[in-house]
Formats: sequence, C-alpha cells, structure tokens
Amino acid sequence: MKKYIYSVLLCLPFFTMAQTLDRTKSPAPSKAPLIQVASPVKFTLANGLQVFVVKNTKLPKVTATLALDVDGFKEGDKAGLADMSGQLLKRGTTTKSKAELDEAVEFLGGSLSTSSQSASVSSLKNNFPKLMELMAEVILHPALSSDELEKVRKQTISGIESSKDDADAISNNVMKKLVYGTNHAFGEITTTKTVNAIKVDDVKNFIKTYWIPNNAYLIFVGDIDPAIAKALAEKNFGTWAKGSFTQPIYDKPAIPASTYVAIVDRPASVQSVVAIASTVNLTKGSPNDIPSNVMNNILGGGFSGRLFANLREKHGFTYGAYSSISPNKQIGIFSAEASVRNEKTDSSIQEILNELNIIRNTKVGDTELSRMKNYLAGGFARSLESPNTIAKFALSIAVNHLPADYYQKYLTNLAAVDAQKVQEVANSLLNPARMHIVIVGNAKQIAKGLEKYGPVKYFDIEGNEVAAPTEVKADASLTPTAIMEKAIAAIGSKEALDNVKDVQLKGTASLMGQSLEMKQTIVMPGNSVTTMSMGGMAIMRQAVVDGKYSITQQGQEAPITDDLKEGLDESATLAPEQLYLRKGYGLKIVGGEKVDGKEVIDVEVTTPLKKVSHRFYDAKTFLLVKTAKSEEVPGRGTVTQQQFYSSYQTVNGVQIPSEMIIDMGQMKINVKYTDIKVNQGLKTTDLK
Amino acid sequence: MQKLGSFLLASLFLMTGTLAKSQTIQFEKYTLPNGLKVILHEDHSAPVVAVTALYHVGSKNEDTARTGFAHFFEHLLFEGSENIKRGEFDKYVTNAGGALNANTSQDRTFYYELLPSNQVDLGLWLESERMMHAKIEQIGVNTQREVVKEEKRQRMDNRPYGSFLTEMLKRAYKVHPYKWSPIGSMDHLNAAKLDEFIQFYKTYYVPNNCVLSIAGDINKAELKKKIEAYFGPIAKGAVVIKRPNIKEPPLSGEVRDNIYDNIQLPAIFHAYRAPKQGGDEYYAFNVLSTILSGGASSRMNKTLIDSKQLAVAAQSVPFFNEDDGLFIALTIANMGVKVETLEASMDSVVNELKNDLVGEREFQKVKNQITTDLVDSKATMAGIAESLANNEVYFGDANLINTELEKYNKVTREDVLKVAKKYLNKENRVVLHYLPKEKTSK
Repeated sequence: MKKYIYSVLLCLPFFTMAQTLDRTKSPAPSKAPLIQVASPVKFTLANGLQVFVVKNTKLPKVTATLALDVDGFKEGDKAGLADMSGQLLKRGTTTKSKAELDEAVEFLGGSLSTSSQSASVSSLKNNFPKLMELMAEVILHPALSSDELEKVRKQTISGIESSKDDADAISNNVMKKLVYGTNHAFGEITTTKTVNAIKVDDVKNFIKTYWIPNNAYLIFVGDIDPAIAKALAEKNFGTWAKGSFTQPIYDKPAIPASTYVAIVDRPASVQSVVAIASTVNLTKGSPNDIPSNVMNNILGGGFSGRLFANLREKHGFTYGAYSSISPNKQIGIFSAEASVRNEKTDSSIQEILNELNIIRNTKVGDTELSRMKNYLAGGFARSLESPNTIAKFALSIAVNHLPADYYQKYLTNLAAVDAQKVQEVANSLLNPARMHIVIVGNAKQIAKGLEKYGPVKYFDIEGNEVAAPTEVKADASLTPTAIMEKAIAAIGSKEALDNVKDVQLKGTASLMGQSLEMKQTIVMPGNSVTTMSMGGMAIMRQAVVDGKYSITQQGQEAPITDDLKEGLDESATLAPEQLYLRKGYGLKIVGGEKVDGKEVIDVEVTTPLKKVSHRFYDAKTFLLVKTAKSEEVPGRGTVTQQQFYSSYQTVNGVQIPSEMIIDMGQMKINVKYTDIKVNQGLKTTDLK
Repeated sequence: MQKLGSFLLASLFLMTGTLAKSQTIQFEKYTLPNGLKVILHEDHSAPVVAVTALYHVGSKNEDTARTGFAHFFEHLLFEGSENIKRGEFDKYVTNAGGALNANTSQDRTFYYELLPSNQVDLGLWLESERMMHAKIEQIGVNTQREVVKEEKRQRMDNRPYGSFLTEMLKRAYKVHPYKWSPIGSMDHLNAAKLDEFIQFYKTYYVPNNCVLSIAGDINKAELKKKIEAYFGPIAKGAVVIKRPNIKEPPLSGEVRDNIYDNIQLPAIFHAYRAPKQGGDEYYAFNVLSTILSGGASSRMNKTLIDSKQLAVAAQSVPFFNEDDGLFIALTIANMGVKVETLEASMDSVVNELKNDLVGEREFQKVKNQITTDLVDSKATMAGIAESLANNEVYFGDANLINTELEKYNKVTREDVLKVAKKYLNKENRVVLHYLPKEKTSK
C-alpha cells in the first residue's frame, strides 16, 4: 500500500515528460557504455603450462578450462582419432570407472567435459578444489580402456552411417576435402574405415603427443583469487611432465586456377545443397580481420544479409542463404551456402555470384553499413555478460598473438570501418573467378547448363573424383510398349505366368535395427493382402480382395481414394506391366542412367488418374531394378520415395525379387523375403 | 548401498552446513496507478539489460471453443502497433544488436528483449507499444495463423514424439483447461473472428495483468521516470479477467494408449498426476526428479542407458503449474529393445523410490546439484528478470529467488519417499507408447 502511494506521487512530476514523449519514433540510444574488457592475471608453471585467471565474483562459481594450442590434427588413415580420444578422456581413470567418475563429479554438484583439445570443469566455489583434482586425474591418468573405446567407436560409426544420407554433411565433407586437399589437416574426412583402424595404442599415443603442459593454457574464470588459482594449478598440474610438440605448417592449399563445379550425385535429392567457397589469406588481428567480418555480415550474415534478401525474400529459391568468413593462423576460409529447390540450382549459383560481384564493385550505403555495425557492436556488448567470453578473449589473444588490447579496442576499430574498406576487403578476399562450387543434388535434373560457371566434375560422398554419370541411351528401336513386353517376358513366359494361381511371400522388414514381420499374399486374379507387423501385432495391412479395397493402419481404417485403389491393383499381380499396356496408361521412355553400376532404362508411367511414377529396367535383362515416385507432402515439400529390387529368384518359372529397399530419404526399410511359396491352392477366403 | 551411506553420514552433515549461500538478488518492486507491477534489478557487471513483460494469461484462460489463443497472441503481438509498422518489431531489436523472443505456457505469456544497456529505452518503447495499442488486424491474423500452423507442423507433427504433450494432456485431464496444450486447435483459430482477437487483447493485455521486470546495467532513478512516461498513460483494463477455478478429480485408474508416429525408435511416456507448484511436495518432487535424471550418475541414466543399454535417452520432467501438475518420466528405446522390457525397467527404477529411502550420499549429491542449478539460474540478466516475474505472479513473492534454496534444504529423504508413495502409482498415471508408423502407400 505504501508503495502504491509512493508511485502515485512519483507520476505527478513526470506528467509533463509523458506529454513530450514522441511515440512515433523509436528512441535513440543513449551514449554507448564504456566497455571494460578485464585483462586476466597470467603466470606460467615450471613445466610450461600457461595459466590465466579472470576473477569475477558475480556468482559463487568457478570454471577451469584447459586448452591445447593445436591447429588441426593430421590423422591420415585414422581420421576421427582426435575426437574419439577426447571423448575417451572422461570415460574413466586408472582408479575410477566411468560410473564412479560421473558420480564423483556430480556429488560435487559440478560438471566435467572433454574434447580433442580441451577439458573443462565447473562448480560452486566451495567444491571447486576437489573438482580440479578430478580434472587433473582425467588428464594425467585416464584409463583409455578398450571397452570404452569400443563404445565410442560404435557411437561414432552410427553417426557416420546416419550422415551418409545427410546432404549437408556430404557437402561439408566434400567441400573441405576439395578446398584444403588431403595433405592438410583440415581436409581429412572421418569414415567407417578410418574409425575402425583406430587402436587403443593410437589413443594413448595421441594423448601422450598432444596433451602436454608446454603447449597448453589453463584458464580460471569466476569467484577465485589468483593466488588460490595458482596454488591449485601447481598442486594438480605441477607434476605434469613436459613433452615436445611443434605445430606442423601445412602446405598452403592452392586456390583453383578458375572456378569449377563439383557435383555429388544424389538421385533422391529434391533440393540441391549449393556451397561456394575458397580459402582466404586472413588471420585474426590482421588489418582485414574486422572489416572482413563487417563485409561478410552485409553479404550473408543471418536474416539481414543480402543473400537472404535476394535468394529467399526476393526469389523464394530457399528457406535461407548465408555466408561465413573465418580467419585462421595458417589459412582462412570463405563460404556461401544455400539449400535450394532442384530447378533453381543454376539460378541460385548465378545470384550468389552476382552478390559477390556487387559487393566487390559497389560501395555499401551508409544506412546498411551503420545498421550492420550496430548489430555487431550490440552483439559484442551482450556477449560480455558471460564471464567465459573474457576467458575466450584471453585465449584468443594468446594463441593468435594479438595485441593485449585487441578486444578493448574492438568497438573503436569496428566503428572505423568505412564503405571504402568494405569494398577493399571484398576485392582482396572474394574472387568469383576462382571458387569451388560444390553441389550435392540430383545430377540428372540439375547438371544442365552449369558448364557456364566452369568445368563440371563429379565426386563421391567422400570427395573422390568419379566419372560423370553416363547418359545411358536407350536403344532407339525400342518403344515403351516393347520394353513392357520384354519386362513381362523377363518375369516369365506367358504360360508360366498363367500357371501361377497364388503366391505367398514371408520375410522381415528392418529399419534402424527394428525388425518387423512382412507378409504378402496374392491370389489370382487381382487379390492381394500385405501386412507388416511387430511382435505379432499388425501395424499395417493393405488389401484388395474380391474388389473390396482396405487399408488399415494400427487398427484404424484409412479412407480409400481412387489413387490408392490404383496402387492396390498394381500390387495384386506379378507383372504390373500387363496393366500398363492397357488403355488409359501413358508410357514414355525418359532416358537411362546407372543403378548400382548397371545400365537401366527409365520409363515414365502415367496412370489413368494422372499419377506419375518412374520404372527403371535393366537394359540387358529387362528385370525391374528400381521405381521412383514423388509426392507433395504438406509442410515438407516434394518427397521422393525410391524402391530398389534385387536377388531375383526363380519360382515355378517366374522371377520374383526377394530383396527390396524402400528409400524415403530420411528413412530406409530393408525387406528380405526368406519364404516364397507358389500355388498352395489359396482362395480369396484365405485372405482374411 | 544404504549401509554404506550411513557410514558417511557424519562427514556429510558437515558439508551440508557449509552449502554455498549464493548472494542475494536486490530488487525494487512497485505498482503504477494503472496496476502495472514493475520489478527492477540493477547490476552493472556487464553493459546489458533484459527488458521483460510477463502477462498472466496462458492456455488455461482460453474458451474451450477457442483453444490456442494465448499462444497465437505470442505471435500476433510482434506484428506491430500504431507506431511500429508491420514486420518492423524485431528489426528494431536486431538492428540494435539485441535479441528478442517470447514463450507461452498454460499459465502465462512471456516477452523479452535482450539489449546493450544504452538501448534500454528501445525496450520500453517496444513493450509499451505492444501493451498500449498493438495492431490487431485481419492481415496480421492471417499471416500469423499460417506461421503458427507451420510451427505446429515443424514442432509437433514433423518432430519425432512432438505430439506427446498434446496426447498426454488430453488423457491426464478431463475437466481442467490443462487438458489442451498451448498450441491449441487450428480449427478454433480458423473459426475465430477478428473481433474475438480484439476482445482477448483488451481483456488480458492490460497493465493490471502484467509484470514489467527489468534487470541489468540500468540507472534505477532515471529508468523509473521513463517507465512512468512510457507505461503510465496506458489505461487499466476494463474487462474482468477470467481465472478458472476448477479442481481436477483423481485419475482413478491407469490410462494406457499407443501412438503411432514417424519415428524409428519407440518411446515410453509415463505421466503421474502431481500437486501444484510451490508447496512442500513440489520441492520434494524436484529433488526426486534430480535423483531420477539429474546428470550421468542419476538412476535413470545409469541403469537404463549405461549399464543395461535399454534406452538411448531417459528423462524425468516435473511439469508443475499454478494448478495440479504432472510428473513425467520418459525413455526412448535403444535399437532392438522391446517396449515391454524397457517399461519393466522404468517401473523398477521408480519402485525403488517407493520402497527404500534414498541413500545419504546420493541424497547429498542431489542437493549439491540443485544448489549449483539455483546459482546457475542467476547467471544471466534474462534469467533473473524472468524468475523475479514468475515468482511475483505465481506466489506474490518476487523474493523467492533468494529463499528458494532454504525450501530445498528442508526436504528430507523421508519427504521424497512420501511423495513417491503418494503419487507414483499406476492408478495415478497415463502411459503412452510411441511406436513407429509405417507408410501405407507402397
């Protein structure tokens, strides 16, 4: 109540102020706050470990981070070793199992993390000394056991497997290999093969070689006196033996003599991942460092960059388009990226290159420049809320050999960047005539016309150059009807096909380790039931029996549309080609391609209901190898589903594929029929 | 385990006594004549400020035929105002180097701007414009309706297990408005007329239903004048605010269902009906939850993920609210693990809590973890501003930010056993099994 009266009184004298307040404009910022970037207390232990202490008493907490000064690990045929070694560090010590170590850390209300070149602990101030002991134990006496290595290996491989289907991951891998080359640590790709080559001794060697005090920094941040930090550092890391390590200087990767296009063919793609990149001579703290950051943000920094405005807002090619520029002691990199609709691949490359030319040829306007500088300054100020920022700054100053006041002067230097300088760095760092253009996408649909940017080359998902997917020319004498007839003949003679009265296929369908039971029964003519079940419980059942259509999913009937009826009719025969020869179906030879090294002919089938699908027949045997169908899925755009057929078996003179892969991009189902029976005398009444 | 625990008892008691007492958060709280509550916390350690506005309206205030309104407003109110053009609201913030966002729960809607401290006026201007005369127009309603639909597709329909909250709530509650989730019904949003949106705005987006909580590098005396200037002229709400007063009867019997989703690994969700937030049982429940899933050494993580390798993820979630809440335990099965096997193990982990007192050492570990978490929650100005506002709205006690640790310290091992026995029972829970769906078309 008291406060209420107080505020009533308060509002009187300011009434006039409310009158003068101009609501129609956004208020101007007040004077920029004076930014003080605290400098850490520094000292070095006898074994060479450099220690920084940033005292900050805001919270009764302390964090210590140990960081190695290494610029990339050259791992060769053991790529992945550094990451896995980093993970193994916190999976047990010579005296504690992983479970015991986890419990010890959490009993202190703390946390501990490790990576290939850093380790970090954090807790409240009172428990911190004990946590430091655990950190030292992890670094100086890790167990590095083979059991734990196997667990980490399993996780790493399953990560690699799942990224094989991920167009962004493929793009990253191929780009780094092309930009840096295999002789550079930054150009190595971790594969199942390299991960499987890693032995416990390799991990031990890695830790022995790189984790040495004379190439490391220990940084304390939080409520801790430098004297106490020093005592803790001495006590826990004073006995850590020195080693020797010289940072290898990698050969500077050459930038391409002229721009070229690298395509990774991914037939399932409905979007192309386009990335345009090159190395740049840019080191942290160099005169171009801050201006290049301003330039990059104008070009492609987030929602307010030009790439976003052009490719998304103006043209609608993509959901987002961005660029990035990263300085590095040895060699920096620039990259611009977007995931675009297949048919806009060419146009998107053109627009990205246009933007590169515009920022090189035209001075940026004052409004755009100051808006971007405000954005960067505000972000810098806000980052100072976290005490870890100060630690990061201190480390960056040390490893990049920056002037001690680099961050203190950051805002002043940012303010000094003008339009002239932005144009200058764009010209010195971006060269559209000498770029790598990497595209992961459906080569058949997107490759046409790309030669205008430079030579077009093809690569596999590990960045090895491969031959261009050959344009397989279908035998000109073949008509679509002839192909259908050959395909039917390949399945079986007319007599053999007429002889089949019923077929039953039983087997398993597996997806991501889950195993489902799969069963399909066909009773001629035109009856079929397919069920997929798990633990005896039907998950899916689709049937056409005596002209009645039904689809049941998890016990619930789905409404039957005419499209679905068409699909079910096709499933109720051994040779749907017989259907396609009927009136109402449209057939067209689209071309050819290779599937698993085999030449195939692509026939487009249009049903009477105008549903389009593609069927790929082996050019020699005319057996069906693949089908593909694209559908619009609300919220996800076009989704392409492909099915691959293999391991044909001859049963009663008829060819039946016993293996099938259903590939829906994100999800793959492998179907294997192990039990195939023909002519058991089944009737439609058996199809219940 | 228990015996080993009591051995360590003496030394542990010593530690309890020395539990770090985190420093007090100083703040000032007052109310403007129009009913707007203001909370200010001054901290000059970094040149940043968090300007936040918490409106005491969530999905539970919605009409049963207009669910999703509260969350819809979280989007609509970025559309602009009399002085802010459509689509400009967030640009003001990003151009100032700031960040902004909002979120909606069943009980309240929260908006915030994180800014360099010399831009605090911008935050006041934006929030007062939003409260004073936001533009509620058909064009904005239409735009945001599409955005919300896209959000629902992305966050619920397309995300594995994304529908779990909606599916869970509608089975866990029969009469209370907690039975629908904040995303609500797209049909309701489609059916709503512009007038209804305007009415909702006039009812709930009024100064007397809001806490303006500001923390950071501010000059309090100066800021108060500005707050008065920006927010003082906004009229108090004229409509009586609807606050549902509905007691949900007990579940009386396990509810069990299968949900088929676009997933590869099955998941199990157990939701036990639980008390409302703020009471002694609430604190005991949070301790219990940390025992189950706080960190790698917690029981669910250690048993289900690490040693038995039955699950790839295991988590307990205290889902507490102004009215009676839920306690949720969830797991995602490892490859090839049967749902029944995993569920039996989940139940046995929970049953241990009902049958045995937690060991002394483990209990101390959990208390230590909670103490650290409470300190961490004060690490950012945004976190402090939100805690102050939440505590004020829910408990009328912004100062709870400083006294909450005592409430946790009072929880005993017996209290944990008691809530486990009282609430973690089969007849008091909803069980959902998420199973992989197969594509019907061939």
